[in-house]
Amino acid sequence: MKRTQLRKVKDRFFTWLMRFFLVTAAALLGLILLGIAWRGVGALSWEMVSQSPQGGFYLGKGGGILNAIVGSLYLALGATTLASLIAIPVVLYMHVYARGGRLANNVRLTLDIMWGIPSIVYGAFGFSLMIFLGLRASLLAGIIALALVVLPILARTFDEIVSMAPRHLRETALALGTTRLEFLGVLLRQTAPGLLTAILLAFGRGIGDAASVLFTAGYTDNMPESLLRPVASLPLAVFFQLSTPFPEVQARAYASALVLTILVLAISLLAHFSMTRLGRHVIR
Amino acid sequence: MYALSIRQLNVWYDKQHVLKDITVDVPRRQITAIIGPSGCGKSTLLKSLNRLLDLNERVRVSGQVLFEGQNIYDPGTDVTDVRTRIGLLAQKPFPLPMSIFDNVAYGPRIHGLGNGHLAQIVTAQLQAVGLWEEVKDRLKAPATGLSGGQQQRLCLARTLAVAPEVLLCDESTASLDPISARGIEALLRGLREKYTLVLVTHDIEQARRLADHVVFMWLGELVEHGPAGPFFAQPEQKLTQAYLAREIG
Repeated sequence: MKRTQLRKVKDRFFTWLMRFFLVTAAALLGLILLGIAWRGVGALSWEMVSQSPQGGFYLGKGGGILNAIVGSLYLALGATTLASLIAIPVVLYMHVYARGGRLANNVRLTLDIMWGIPSIVYGAFGFSLMIFLGLRASLLAGIIALALVVLPILARTFDEIVSMAPRHLRETALALGTTRLEFLGVLLRQTAPGLLTAILLAFGRGIGDAASVLFTAGYTDNMPESLLRPVASLPLAVFFQLSTPFPEVQARAYASALVLTILVLAISLLAHFSMTRLGRHVIR
Repeated sequence: MYALSIRQLNVWYDKQHVLKDITVDVPRRQITAIIGPSGCGKSTLLKSLNRLLDLNERVRVSGQVLFEGQNIYDPGTDVTDVRTRIGLLAQKPFPLPMSIFDNVAYGPRIHGLGNGHLAQIVTAQLQAVGLWEEVKDRLKAPATGLSGGQQQRLCLARTLAVAPEVLLCDESTASLDPISARGIEALLRGLREKYTLVLVTHDIEQARRLADHVVFMWLGELVEHGPAGPFFAQPEQKLTQAYLAREIG
């Protein structure tokens, strides 16, 4: 009797403990969002998102962060595109041609190590590569450095998704007399929604990365002009504005962070909705 | 006379010897049923006939499978061609991640059959498996929306659309409800006029209903085989008698 009671008390205690931490985790996210919104929403205005900085912007004068918004979109778009071009063939090759082999495992290990490397290291590497090639800080250099950051995220996420494809898909397709390349096409149809998720996840991670673009993309108050000129980015816009001693500029830093957060949220929602549309034919 | 001739076929999964010295012929345009208890190697034997065993890296094969006189395990064999001419209907219905129409059209499309009259091929095959009336208004809908029995008929149409000569069926009714299973059985019976059928089943009654020729396997060995009439009426081996009487298995 006593023993049963003790077990019940234990059960209840740990259930509540887990619930407490569950709420804590959710509350942290809410707190961050609220905190940014609280401090930033006052400074958020149409001017803020529709104009580039004007003279004295960092002293509290007029203008906005359109240059950083567009710059960040270019950087993330370029980096995700470049990383996709590498990751998609790599992952499909691992699953169709090098299935279960040592090669696939080694590639996986390589990607996992790349995932663990801090993005400032990619920034530093990109910087030295830039010097070596005689490039200046530019959109192109930023894209290359950022692509290195998002490549392992994209590839490993897609890899996991392809791993989850039904085992019978392969047998079914090959039993119809498909070549491996044709099977690859079927596999891609099955995993397309997951691939889109992986790409958007990488995009969301890339658009918020500051360290890799710090040296490579540089910063400018102008709108992006060409691949070979520096571009602004939202994370650095937050950083520069927050570093000023002026409260109104600091408020704009929070507004910029809010814009960045809204962008990432919008991407997540987009992923969610396009997935249901694309996933119509997927075999579950 | 024979579509397939299996000669001293041995198969290993790693060190495990799962098929031992199998030698048997598969008559053309008849239904050959491979029967035996679970794990006796009947599915392995079936999948050795169109080289689907190749998909498992741990499998090693020795011996020959002669298909119309050609050993399909010869190094120069075009495996894609073998699998095109020897189709498979799997145990569980497994539609491809496409629409109903595209599922049937997929095979002809990749093999370059039916240029321009793809729709005709799809219609004909869906009619042949008795699915046309049920799906003609939703050909663009996902194949996953069909019921299990409908999906299996779709899979049969998909396999036949490639115009194979031999059809392998791996317990193709085992996962279906009794009515759908009977439907598939009736279809298979009708196909014997045009195709050579090899089917694996653990259901002795199904083999009685369908088979012209029976192969009985036990622990990776071929125990007895022959025309269905004598096989069921007067089995020669003790093991076969015991299995048919359901004393073992």
